[in-house]
Amino acid sequence: MRPRILIVDDEEPILLALREYFVPLQYEVDCARELEEAEALLSHVHYALLIADLRLTGSQGNEGLELIRFVRERSPWTRIVVLTGYGSAEIESEAVGRGVDAFLQKPMPLADLAEIASALTRGTA
Amino acid sequence: MSLWDRIIEPDGLTTVFQPIFRIAGEGRSTYAYEALTRGPKGTNIERSDVLFEYVRRKHRESEVDLLSIAAALRESRHLPGEPSLSLNVHASTLERDDSLAGSLAMLCAEHEVPLERIIIEIVEHAPPWSGPQLLASLAELRALGVRIALDDVGLGQSNFRMILDCHPNLLKIDRHFVNGCHADPHRRAVLLSIADLAVRLGGQAVAEGIEEERDLKAVTDLGIDLVQGYLLCLPRSSQALRDAEVPAEVA
Repeated sequence: MRPRILIVDDEEPILLALREYFVPLQYEVDCARELEEAEALLSHVHYALLIADLRLTGSQGNEGLELIRFVRERSPWTRIVVLTGYGSAEIESEAVGRGVDAFLQKPMPLADLAEIASALTRGTA
Repeated sequence: MSLWDRIIEPDGLTTVFQPIFRIAGEGRSTYAYEALTRGPKGTNIERSDVLFEYVRRKHRESEVDLLSIAAALRESRHLPGEPSLSLNVHASTLERDDSLAGSLAMLCAEHEVPLERIIIEIVEHAPPWSGPQLLASLAELRALGVRIALDDVGLGQSNFRMILDCHPNLLKIDRHFVNGCHADPHRRAVLLSIADLAVRLGGQAVAEGIEEERDLKAVTDLGIDLVQGYLLCLPRSSQALRDAEVPAEVA
């Protein structure tokens, strides 16, 4: 069975690029564009891995942190990668405190992201 | 286009129907059709469980409940016969929307569906949605001739207080108590208790989630003759149901 991953980003081109990259790598890929959509999926679908942007609305919010909390409460077996172009040491520390598995800076080479995803999902499918 | 915009566009929501059957001896007839809403096609929220989780997180239950009712009534004209229609409404909608009964009456008039055919099925009845407006909404619905059903009886917030507050005509017993009841005297005891309570309150029990012949026999042996589940009929489009040949009761 292929690992199922959820990619959450409010930028459609990024979602498309990540989907096109991960599907041939034998992942089942779902994409969500907003926090509530991601939470609704996470409530009813089992994901091996969540890859989420820190900011989902273009505002100064850090919805990615909210998603980490949600996943850790509802789906503790799901591994979490947060991507950000605006990360600070403080936010990274908070993300780690909430249980993120990897906190990565954008831009990140897709091959590197895929390597991390593979390591995190190994044996989870 | 945002996901919300997809929901509210014309035909964004679609409806399938699952019959509630009345079992009589070896025969059965359609007592009602429960309308089940599906989200916009090709989206993550096409599945109803994800759709309503999304809607609740957006706090848009009232709008989507009304859109779902409109979609169900529109589609119901293709159903065979004229049995009752069970329409799901969040308890939060009954509490927040003081115009629900009026809106329902208008929609029924528009689609030429008599209100006597309508059952409002209360779903997701978690606190604080048991306040005075919920009771007022239910009273207005009853005054229109609408019947009330309580979903998921036996689990969570579908408890004795909700039963007392809502005076449901139908107690829909959660599948948790139905699945495997043929082999479990404890489950049968719960089923019998709820069925007896329903009758004492002037209503009827419905056994949801029938998936095995043995469970069907067990619940009918307990005197529960209203049943629903995949064993009997999957949720289907109105056209597919019209093609099936199950006699319908007149509401």
